[in-house]
Amino acid sequence: MRHAGFTWHDGALLAQGLGVSLGLFAGTFLIGLVLGSAAAVLRHFRVPTLGTLLHTGLELLRNSPVLVQLFLVFFGVPALLHQPLTPVFAAGLTLSANTAAFVYFIAVAGLDAVGRDQVEAARAFGLSRVQLVRHILGPQALAFAVAPLVGLAVNQLQVTSLVSVIGVVDLTKAGDILNLRTLRPFAVWTLVGVLYFAAAKTLTLLGNRWERRLRAHAAPLGL
Amino acid sequence: MIAVEGVVKRFGAHTVLDGVSLTVAPGEVVTILGSSGSGKSTLIRCINGLETLDGGRITVDGLDVADPRQLAQARRLSATVFQLFNLYPHMTVLRNITLAPELVLKRPKAEVDGQARALLASVGLAGKADSYPGQLSGGQRQRVGICRALAMNPRYLLLDEVTSALDPEMTAEVLAILGKLATRQPGGAGTAMLFVTHEVEFARRISTRIVFLDQGRLIVDLPTDQFFAADGGLAHPRIRQFLSKMAPAAPLAEIPA
Ligand SMILES: Nc1ncnc2c1ncn2[C@@H]1O[C@H](COP(=O)(O)OP(=O)(O)OP(=O)(O)O)[C@@H](O)[C@H]1O
Ligand SMILES: [Mg+2]
Repeated sequence: MRHAGFTWHDGALLAQGLGVSLGLFAGTFLIGLVLGSAAAVLRHFRVPTLGTLLHTGLELLRNSPVLVQLFLVFFGVPALLHQPLTPVFAAGLTLSANTAAFVYFIAVAGLDAVGRDQVEAARAFGLSRVQLVRHILGPQALAFAVAPLVGLAVNQLQVTSLVSVIGVVDLTKAGDILNLRTLRPFAVWTLVGVLYFAAAKTLTLLGNRWERRLRAHAAPLGL
Repeated sequence: MIAVEGVVKRFGAHTVLDGVSLTVAPGEVVTILGSSGSGKSTLIRCINGLETLDGGRITVDGLDVADPRQLAQARRLSATVFQLFNLYPHMTVLRNITLAPELVLKRPKAEVDGQARALLASVGLAGKADSYPGQLSGGQRQRVGICRALAMNPRYLLLDEVTSALDPEMTAEVLAILGKLATRQPGGAGTAMLFVTHEVEFARRISTRIVFLDQGRLIVDLPTDQFFAADGGLAHPRIRQFLSKMAPAAPLAEIPA
């Protein structure tokens, strides 16, 4: 068996894989953040049917493995609709919805943590619901939620590695290709691992900085 | 005018307000007395729309608070000072005061800022504009709460036991400010006040009228001097009993006439 050496091309492949992983993560996390928070606000204001429906759906998503969801979307949905999905589309859809589910539960807890008394004050002073969310609930819920959100982000970044199994050429898939060509699994997977670690660590550091800024004047609980 | 007409409020099977009627005309200072659990806070919360009514009607200058659109209008006419201050902890003192005037009354920022700073100065908190509520004492927080309400230029000020979370010294501090505010009313056109308080002596000094709530019913509504007259309010056994149980008046700071 011939051991092929590493080439410049391999570096390009890994860089491209890393780009796909990061892009997929950033895009789906952002979409999940928006959808999950919106659902949490609907629930907070007890919007009748829609709120319950969303709650049930997101509960299902949170309590099943991402890999199963991914297979369901990539293999199951096309079989049902007779319409093939591209791997990237299926991956984006699954990860966005999955992230939304986790964001939803974090956001609900954050909104519930904001003191009722100040919310009543804001209502008595005539703030509309939109103004209430924007100026009172939102900023404080975010201060409560930022730590779990940073944790979630780090986790979701790693979860993107699952999309390699449906053929998306992300960092893991790039490692796989490289491994098959060079037959140096230890070197390849160490390198891939370090790249994931570097990305996750950067995310944590950025998140912590953001958290410190947000919490500078966050409610001492129970004020 | 705030007009409360036959208001009924229930929590489950418990009828907390049982046909309460009351008016507060511009310029009046009306105090609600009553023992704990008699429904005083609930009545205030019905007027500012934090509770829905189970019967009767409340209007503020003709605006029916049961109707969401009219409630939004009514809330621009009155402002509430809360027992536990209810400040926004993530905002500076200045922002706490300017938020609603800017967002709800749509007044220009510069003008509202100026008024807020003047109000803060008038209650001795000129240096605290950029502090956060968590950095203030209870008495200071309540003074901010009062400034926040006054910045709405309200026709009606609703105050629910605004000193009961404060120690005697801070109570005196806040009562002195409210006393000034009440005596400044040029009978007829100024900010009307609806007070809930346990400070009977204070109520006696500043109120034009006193009403007494007993188990959800308003049993007496009299001008202040008649309320304390032997053949007026004191003729009611419930009121005599209530007044005799009140602690001696807290030390009051000088209230300028
Ligand atoms: N949200 C609620 N749910 C159920 N019961 C309530 C609620 N709010 C008030 N009550 C009940 O209504 C009654 C009147 O309460 P309220 O707070 O109006 O009394 P209060 O006169 O302000 O008393 P205090 O002097 O102690 O403040 C009490 O028996 C209270 O337990
Ligand atoms: Mg009360």
